[in-house]
Amino acid sequence: MRVLWFLASLGFTACMVALWQLASATGMASQIFLPAPSRVWEALMAGFSSGDMPAKLGATTARVFAGWALASLLGVALGALIGVSSRARIYIAPSLEFLRPLPVSALVRIFIGLLGYSEQMVLVVIAFGAFWPCLLSTIYGFSAVEPRLYEVSSVLGLSRWSMIREIALPSALPDIVAGMRVGLTVSLILVVVAEILGSREGIGYNILLAQRSFKSADLFAGIILLGMIGYASAMAINWVESRLVRWR
Amino acid sequence: MSVALASDYSPEIAMDPVIHFSNVSLAIGGRHILKDINLDIARGEFVAIVGPSGCGKTTLLRLLAGLASPSSGSILLDGTPVRSPRQNVAVVFQDYGKALLPWRTASGNIALALEAMNVPRHQWPDRVAELLTVMGLEIDGDKRPGEMSGGMQQRLQIARCLAQQPSVLLMDEPFGALDAITRQVLQDEVLALAERTGMAVFFVTHDLEEAIYLGDRVVALSANPGRVARTFPVDLPQPRHQLTTREHPTFLELRHDLFSFIKGGAAK
Amino acid sequence: MSQPAPIRPPIRAAWQMRIDPRPFALPLVAIGLAELLALRFVPTDSFSLAAPHQIAVDFVRLLVDGTFLSRTLETLGAALAGLALGGLLGLALGVALGLSEVLDRVTSMTVEALRPVPPTALIPLSLLVFGFGLTMEIAIVAFTTIWPVLVLSRAAVRETEPRLMEVAKVMRMSFGRRLTRIVIPGAIPRIFVAFRLAAAIALIVAVTVEIVANPRGLGYGMMLSSQSLRPAASFAFLVWIAIVGWAFNQTLILLERRLFGDLSRAAR
Repeated sequence: MRVLWFLASLGFTACMVALWQLASATGMASQIFLPAPSRVWEALMAGFSSGDMPAKLGATTARVFAGWALASLLGVALGALIGVSSRARIYIAPSLEFLRPLPVSALVRIFIGLLGYSEQMVLVVIAFGAFWPCLLSTIYGFSAVEPRLYEVSSVLGLSRWSMIREIALPSALPDIVAGMRVGLTVSLILVVVAEILGSREGIGYNILLAQRSFKSADLFAGIILLGMIGYASAMAINWVESRLVRWR
Repeated sequence: MSVALASDYSPEIAMDPVIHFSNVSLAIGGRHILKDINLDIARGEFVAIVGPSGCGKTTLLRLLAGLASPSSGSILLDGTPVRSPRQNVAVVFQDYGKALLPWRTASGNIALALEAMNVPRHQWPDRVAELLTVMGLEIDGDKRPGEMSGGMQQRLQIARCLAQQPSVLLMDEPFGALDAITRQVLQDEVLALAERTGMAVFFVTHDLEEAIYLGDRVVALSANPGRVARTFPVDLPQPRHQLTTREHPTFLELRHDLFSFIKGGAAK
Repeated sequence: MSQPAPIRPPIRAAWQMRIDPRPFALPLVAIGLAELLALRFVPTDSFSLAAPHQIAVDFVRLLVDGTFLSRTLETLGAALAGLALGGLLGLALGVALGLSEVLDRVTSMTVEALRPVPPTALIPLSLLVFGFGLTMEIAIVAFTTIWPVLVLSRAAVRETEPRLMEVAKVMRMSFGRRLTRIVIPGAIPRIFVAFRLAAAIALIVAVTVEIVANPRGLGYGMMLSSQSLRPAASFAFLVWIAIVGWAFNQTLILLERRLFGDLSRAAR
């Protein structure tokens, strides 16, 4: 049954692509703005066979994951410490709430000023951006642990570390994962910004170059590749989540 | 106070069955929830359904409501098989909080039923006012369910059901979530309503005393699979009274029999 | 010596109401620290850094001469227009997908393929199609806001209280009535939340697009200052952007509480 739905969905997507091809071929949409899927495919193949695309894809993907992983680690660790202490929350959380709506792209210039047009800059930008949603969600997750469980833990005489590990962490896990998901979305957004503003070779920068030379097929190819990175990583997180959060 | 409802109903209780379960079975995934249910309910009869948890009494109610279909057998209502909800069958759910629209007032909730029946809009205010009064909610028309107590919410649900002018009222453990005093008050109100309107009532409960107090008949189901284990006719005087009826020798006898039956082995 | 002054209880005016000072501790310390470090290490004519007091001066200047206001209106205009476009589309799709299981499953692959595309990746495309300006920004905001609204309104429709759907079935309500009287009213609070979250995203995306490519609005104002080697003004814009984002969110949260406070407490 599941297979049938998968095929139906695939079929629908194929129809969409066919419509796209039709729109381009008949000239309903300008070839510049909406290149035919066939041309986009050619561009992708050309890029891969020349070895150019894989290198850039690898670079961009590596940046996304490295930055995101770093951010998640720091975000969860710090978030756990702040989240379990109501005192820390009162002092720190309001400032974080204030910083939450700030677009990290606004800070890229500053990071360029500090770190130059370097790989570290890109990493720091991505990590910085992905850090906040992780941190905030983790704080929320730990703060929302059923208070009764804290009472149970103190009656049982659990150490603070045990309490965090056995009670708070499993309870906060869904929120932590949700925060990491948002962090991934932010990472993808920022890798493009960092590559463009920092003139670093990668898929994001490639898209910009394609736009400047009106090579719309390459442009679309780049967008598709970025979308695929996003899709694959979302699936990966889903898989990890289903393993970790089985009790929900 | 004019109770316009009364005039729509025939006062005598006919002996011809209005509801007829014929070899009704329901199986899900190989497991029989209900098996070979044969049951007749006469017009205007008050039938209480009891049985251990999981015996399928709620399922039976839902079949009658047209919310589920039997795997085999048929349920006839006024001679025709029940395949989907009927206009003249109303259902009172146990979880009144979830069965009422939280964003509408009491009046609005009753109006929903009128709207569903395509009653012309200009008739709504009168009908709503009448139904609120019948259930003692005449001053609460503008309150939202969230502002009402459990008992009031359940009254509201009953009032909404009455808007359908049902000839059959299905009640699924309607008073289970209420406190003892409210429960008793509502028991008597439902009895009075049934008497006045001549509705048949299909009353599912786990409270054996409530079943005997209310019913003309108590049908005990056994579990795994659900079957009609035994029927207990209730030969108690009408109208029922919370104190005297419950001390009546027949009541005590029935109570004894029913308790032993359920406990003894009908449960298995 | 005259008689002692009479003892009067202190009168609390609204502006004297106690505000918890603790949340302000960290920011004040941080600013103070930054000021100290800047005074020590940052030359007053630095190209990329500025001390808090310099930032404050430029902040007030930009506020008073209307630059902040005009740029904010540009950004907000684009963000809200994009939100309206993308939000309505997302809502329509979300409701449709929530109502129809079939539609939902068939389109799932397409939706999941389009959703992860980062909005920044679309900046070059939008530039290609629309050139610089308002349309280009609205297009990207619209595309980005479709998805959160779609996902959340689909969930809102799906999570209609199942008991209410049964009540509608028992009352034999038509599909249209079920939709307009039960599904949509029940989903409205959550749909509002969806728009609130999407609005926050819209603002962030608008500013991001301005920073990366578009010569209008707050993002551009900031980049312009930074490019003309006026770091204090650039930072002032940064602070202002944070304030606008925060105020925008708070307004929406207050609005939500105002509109739905009692309902979201009553329902579920």
